Amino acid sequence: MTQLPEEIRCQGLGVSEGIVIGQVLRMHDGTDPVYRWKIGRDKLEEELQRFRTAAQGASRQVLLLKEKAEQRFGKDHAYIFDAHLLLLEDKKLVSDIENYITTAQVNAEWAVKVVGDRLLYLYSQIKDEYLRERSADVDDVMQRLLIALSGGVPQDRSLSEDAVIVAQDLLPSAVANLDLEHARALATDSGGWTSHTAILARGVGIPAVVGLRDFFRLTRTGDRIIVDSSRNQVILHPSSDTLEQYAAETATYSNRRLASQTSETGPVRTTDGVELTLRANVEVPSEFEGVEKYGASGVGLYRSEFLLSRRGGLVSEAEQVEAYQKIARVAGAEGAVIRLFDLGGDNLGEQFQDGEKNPALGLRAIRFVLANEEIMRGQVRAILRAGADGNLKIVLPMVADPSDVKRARKIIDEEAAKLKAAGEPFGVVSVGAMIEVPSAVVLADNIARAVDFFELGTNDLVQYTLAVDRGNDEVAGWFRTLHPAVLRSINLSLQAATRAGIPAIVCGEMASTPAYVALLVGLGATQLSMTPSSIPRVRQTIAAIDSKNAKQIAAECLACDTADDVEELVRRRFIQYWPALFNSSNLPAFREN
Amino acid sequence: MIERTFTITGRLGLHARAAAKLVRLTSEFQSDISLRRLDGSLTADAKSILSVLMLAASRGTELQACVEGVDEELAMNAIAELFADGFGEFEAEPSL
Repeated sequence: MTQLPEEIRCQGLGVSEGIVIGQVLRMHDGTDPVYRWKIGRDKLEEELQRFRTAAQGASRQVLLLKEKAEQRFGKDHAYIFDAHLLLLEDKKLVSDIENYITTAQVNAEWAVKVVGDRLLYLYSQIKDEYLRERSADVDDVMQRLLIALSGGVPQDRSLSEDAVIVAQDLLPSAVANLDLEHARALATDSGGWTSHTAILARGVGIPAVVGLRDFFRLTRTGDRIIVDSSRNQVILHPSSDTLEQYAAETATYSNRRLASQTSETGPVRTTDGVELTLRANVEVPSEFEGVEKYGASGVGLYRSEFLLSRRGGLVSEAEQVEAYQKIARVAGAEGAVIRLFDLGGDNLGEQFQDGEKNPALGLRAIRFVLANEEIMRGQVRAILRAGADGNLKIVLPMVADPSDVKRARKIIDEEAAKLKAAGEPFGVVSVGAMIEVPSAVVLADNIARAVDFFELGTNDLVQYTLAVDRGNDEVAGWFRTLHPAVLRSINLSLQAATRAGIPAIVCGEMASTPAYVALLVGLGATQLSMTPSSIPRVRQTIAAIDSKNAKQIAAECLACDTADDVEELVRRRFIQYWPALFNSSNLPAFREN
Repeated sequence: MIERTFTITGRLGLHARAAAKLVRLTSEFQSDISLRRLDGSLTADAKSILSVLMLAASRGTELQACVEGVDEELAMNAIAELFADGFGEFEAEPSL
């Protein structure tokens, strides 16, 4: 073909540690990802045949569409399907795909994707806007081929292991459908440290660089790519020099990773003997094995709404019981905290959609389940029943004041009483409140008297305290985790829990980041819950700091006027007290400075 | 071999529907038929829709048709007719 494309480096934000060399797998929103399989030489003819059969099937479909369109709209409008038909029969297109299958020895889907992406790329270079937009026709035909191919996919193939998923944005529902076991890394145009992509990537323990702005359009499926989270960058079409350098680096890196994975378990102590418990936040099943692997003391937060997002609707009580039993088994003796569905009607399909103008302040989380009591009762029953042979707790999301807790408790007590009356086995579960909105912080003492424990959801706490949407790039500059208002809110909540004699678990993304962890220790946190793969790093951090200095720094931060002042202070003090742990490059929130 | 130059007059250029008509037509003949942009080096196989679409021939683009084979005259006449007819398109808003 043509000469080798030039190496392109693109800067973003590394949000999940690691370096990976792989192949681009482009993902458009809403379409299923295509994976690459190796096809043995002896199976190539079979694969070619599979492609031809699919192409014939796709042609037949288009022909039917064409006939329908002719009847309904007249011959002239049906010509567009003629174009699709001609594309499916195009000698050049067909031979390009067949050649790719044969020379690269890959499955037909991958070949269709690679050849299709190349075409779409050529289209994107066309100057005339109308003609350029006709790439939709090519896209349509490629999708049709992929769908035709998915009809008879044999199940016993092993997936290629170097897929790097590249997307403009990964919607939670798309992420839920991803086969994360076989993705090596993620790279997205949008997103930040607390985006869903980032959280899941850390959870599964694969590298991710987000906020690449305009990277997606430069890529084609099958392109070679390096994702280097430590340098906040991705490299497309790396030169042979770059590849060599990275091959050496990944070799040492994976050794290091292995060493940090074989970590100890149980609580960890600061150098001056303050004990902290580290738990795991989990959502998707692929994160479960991390609980034991990274030595978590049980599950501090199970985001149950995953059960819904995966299926795009409600899930039966029996299925929930099974899911919660599984979580209980994964968590072991330390138990698991299950958060009631933390979502709004917009997540549950049309029957619940009322098109709220302001969903973040609308009927969601505890409000939604209280308003849809049957959903809540079903989930509560499932948790109680699963609690019969496991240690489970319930945490109520987005509690605003004690009345939310009282209403929820009443329902939980009633369901327990019904199960008891029916003679069904169930477990008594304790009930906690998520502290994540300002009113809950202000009334923390009052809420503390009504619950068995607190959980501090720092992501939402930042968002609601500062009134900043974390998904909105326009106000990204106002989303400051180290804002004095946020730190004081955490401080107030932790103090209220101590006064009431109940435990408090800090479970937002703050708990995953060494720099924030040191501050949380200073603020008096003794229980942290985080994405499993972060545990070894957090454990190392805690074991290397002393609570006395951490407390002093935290006190200074609480007295600051602005987030800038806090960040500056943290930077100075951390490097001063713990030079072995911190330097200016490993404090992710401060990169703008 | 016969060569002849045509200008794209349709408002939307040689888009998918027009290209489909052209390819359907050229495929009826045995001759080899190519289209070349006069303003550049791009040449397309007129029997491949992919190839024709990649010409990105917008309104006003001049294309040189080159036909070679046993039925070259018949083919060229048919092509000329299609161009003269504006690909049988009405200048209506595109519906697709």
